[in-house]
Amino acid sequence: MAKVKVATVWLEACSGCHMSFLDIDEFIIDVSKLVEFRRSPITDIKTFTPVDVGIVEGSVGNEEEKEIIEELRHNCKILMAWGDCACFGGVCAMRNTFNKEDVLRRAYIETPSTYNGKIPVSPGVPALLDKVYPANQIVKVDCYVPGCPPEPEAIKYGLTELLAGRIPVVPSNIMRFD
Amino acid sequence: MSEITLNINGKQCKGKQGDSVLDVCVANSIDLPTLCHYKGLTDVGACRMCLVEIEKERNFVPACTHPASDGQVVKTSSEKLEKYRRLILELMFTERNHLCAYCVDSGDCELQSLAYKYQMDNARYQYAWPTQVTDSSNPFIVMDHNRCILCGRCIRTCDEITGAHALDFGKRGWKTNVCADINQPLGESSCISCGGCFQACPTGAIFSKASAYRGKPVECTTVESTCAICGVGCDIKALVKNNRLVRIDSPDMTKPRGLLCEMGRFEPLYDSAERVTTPLNRNSKGQLASCSYEEAFEIIAKKFGASDSVAGLASGKASSEALKALADLMDKLGSKLVDTLDGDDCRTVSQGIARFDSKAGLDMEAKLEDILTADCIVVIGAHPTKSHPVIGSYIMRAASKNKAQLIVLDPLRNPFTFRASVWLKPPEGKKELTVKALGKAILDHGLPKAAGDKSKFSADFKEVDVKKAGKDLGIDVHDITRAGQLLAESKNSIIIYGSGILEYKDADLVATILNLAALTSEKPSVISLKRYGNSRGAWQLGLGNPRGPVASDLAKGKAKGLYLLLADDLTESQALTDSIKGVEFTVVQASYLSPATAKADIVLPSLLWTESKGSYTTLDGINKKTSPLVKAPADIKTDADTLKEVARHLKK
Ligand code: SF4
Ligand code: SF4
Ligand code: SF4
Ligand code: SF4
Repeated sequence: MAKVKVATVWLEACSGCHMSFLDIDEFIIDVSKLVEFRRSPITDIKTFTPVDVGIVEGSVGNEEEKEIIEELRHNCKILMAWGDCACFGGVCAMRNTFNKEDVLRRAYIETPSTYNGKIPVSPGVPALLDKVYPANQIVKVDCYVPGCPPEPEAIKYGLTELLAGRIPVVPSNIMRFD
Repeated sequence: MSEITLNINGKQCKGKQGDSVLDVCVANSIDLPTLCHYKGLTDVGACRMCLVEIEKERNFVPACTHPASDGQVVKTSSEKLEKYRRLILELMFTERNHLCAYCVDSGDCELQSLAYKYQMDNARYQYAWPTQVTDSSNPFIVMDHNRCILCGRCIRTCDEITGAHALDFGKRGWKTNVCADINQPLGESSCISCGGCFQACPTGAIFSKASAYRGKPVECTTVESTCAICGVGCDIKALVKNNRLVRIDSPDMTKPRGLLCEMGRFEPLYDSAERVTTPLNRNSKGQLASCSYEEAFEIIAKKFGASDSVAGLASGKASSEALKALADLMDKLGSKLVDTLDGDDCRTVSQGIARFDSKAGLDMEAKLEDILTADCIVVIGAHPTKSHPVIGSYIMRAASKNKAQLIVLDPLRNPFTFRASVWLKPPEGKKELTVKALGKAILDHGLPKAAGDKSKFSADFKEVDVKKAGKDLGIDVHDITRAGQLLAESKNSIIIYGSGILEYKDADLVATILNLAALTSEKPSVISLKRYGNSRGAWQLGLGNPRGPVASDLAKGKAKGLYLLLADDLTESQALTDSIKGVEFTVVQASYLSPATAKADIVLPSLLWTESKGSYTTLDGINKKTSPLVKAPADIKTDADTLKEVARHLKK
């Protein structure tokens, strides 16, 4: 059987979800037998090629992240969201209760340790979106593994179900938002 | 009440006329998700989680507000219902800012557990991300509107259980928010910090500062006990983690003594006073230094053994076991000088009762729960909202729920004066005349025939001329007449009096109040607010009465030795420290270092009520017990054991 091709991306988030993935113990050996990782922070491959499964960690808060998730969606058959940021917005969405200009001013000018700060305007720095969005507010998402970070148990469940050809819905007893 | 039978999910379920569909489900162990429902509160159908299908009803109906009726066919679960429930949860999550991973309530949140139950792994709606404030102006409680689902449980608890009605919904529609008073910061509102709201809140929208992030309920052990701070004796349920108090809850806020107040809920969590952890002995340099129990006992035995007059003085905060052991010690020393710090209060009440009628007077001491059913409440010289807050709540509840008439007799404004039907402000030293004028006003209005012959009780009042009294007192005669009328027309009135009466040490005044009660009610009910958690226990043990008063003897230098049992009382007065001055040898048994321990020759440590097993008698005579919630910071004997050891070491 051909290996299932997987791409994972790490958007606006802390990488905790990928850490949780690496925390699935010996199951990772089974996964590596069945799965081939393409673009991913784990492989350090930076370009997209078509895959079976796309996995997104993190919310979408700037133009670059928006571009990445759109490209991922375009290149995968099934898109799975990992973690509270991708599923609900998570900690990154805390900025949504302020307006964007205030957030930028606070971060680049008003913080006590900043001297002569400037809000970056270089084209190399992706512009912030008006709000931080969970993945499903930008593209269609097929399944979710929430948690901050998700329990390795839940990550394992999500992968096992996908590999068995089913769309996973994390059972209540292992679902966690914290 | 007649029985009804419903068909719920194909099962025959019994209920009572007047039940809601939800009541019947609960009684028959049928699981139905709820959020705005809370045991003991009026149901409002706000959250729509308990929607059910009822045959012949056009729409889904909320089970909590829908009356159950005989023969109803109910379905609590279907694909459509479950779909709607999940949809409601998603709407709640997107309406405010829920960040479980950073929320104090995560792991203890009803909204979150329902989201788990419904496998809500995402929300399909546009998030509102509203800008909400977090109000931390109250010293104990934070209100974080980011997490609020507008279920109204806090509002109904504050109104129906606490009786404060400090909270309500403010604004309309999309902008609706829970607000205190007329949208004031909670800390500046009429909130009395009872904590009922955060116990009832299903989410992290209201929480206790001291409990936040101290531990989740699953990580805690639970201990049930009694609050020994005041004479109400509320039931408590403490959550403890690593020998630290995480939270003090009520085991059931709808039960009698199930309510808590600021003191019971928070005092033990904020305890920071310096403790006495070992016996202390005054050394040759005149400083207190740590010593062993044995050394301390030997010194006490030697000093007390050689003294012919040792007095014992106890705080009413000590347990009955400790008070009894102190009385025994004094007996062994052959001393009649035993008293409590509030002995004067206790004697005033006792003598007042004796002057009125020893037997009937005692019978008139009512149970606190009687306040809830009273139709007229007279509060004389008492500020229960401060001294016994739960009694304050009972009064406010009776006034709002039962429409009980409230008559306040007090020169100063208190939380009841603005709710009172009549507020009489007696000038200093004229309380007795005011009470008498009130009695006369009752007689003038005339009592119903059913009241029977009350001539026995009218003697005190007959001679008073209400008009003239009004003039003397500077009180509008109409107010007196109106109060008299309310009392004359009431069926079960209750009179509550406290320190504002007892401070005069005037037994006649107490007797007059009892007369007033006897005049107005068939089952006269009086509550005297005793100062300490176990004042009544001390009273029943005969500590302050017939013995005492001791303080004056101390001041006169009659006692050469003093055993002062303070236990965890930190409120001892200047008068007390003054009276120690003249004593040659003083032992203070206390939990905390204080001006009194600073003057002592020997200090012995006391456990706190939260650290020990003890018996306490509530101010209305119910025996309650405490259990240790946490371990003491050192190896400390119980007060009773310490006292018994002292007695054992005496040579006689
Ligand atoms: S209130 Fe409950 S659902 Fe909301 S963030 Fe806190 S734990 Fe999560
Ligand atoms: S603490 Fe008590 S009085 Fe204050 S708002 Fe909450 S329920 Fe009302
Ligand atoms: S603060 Fe809590 S109890 Fe009050 S309405 Fe909001 S969620 Fe309900
Ligand atoms: S009313 Fe008294 S017994 Fe009840 S919680 Fe308050 S202090 Fe404790």
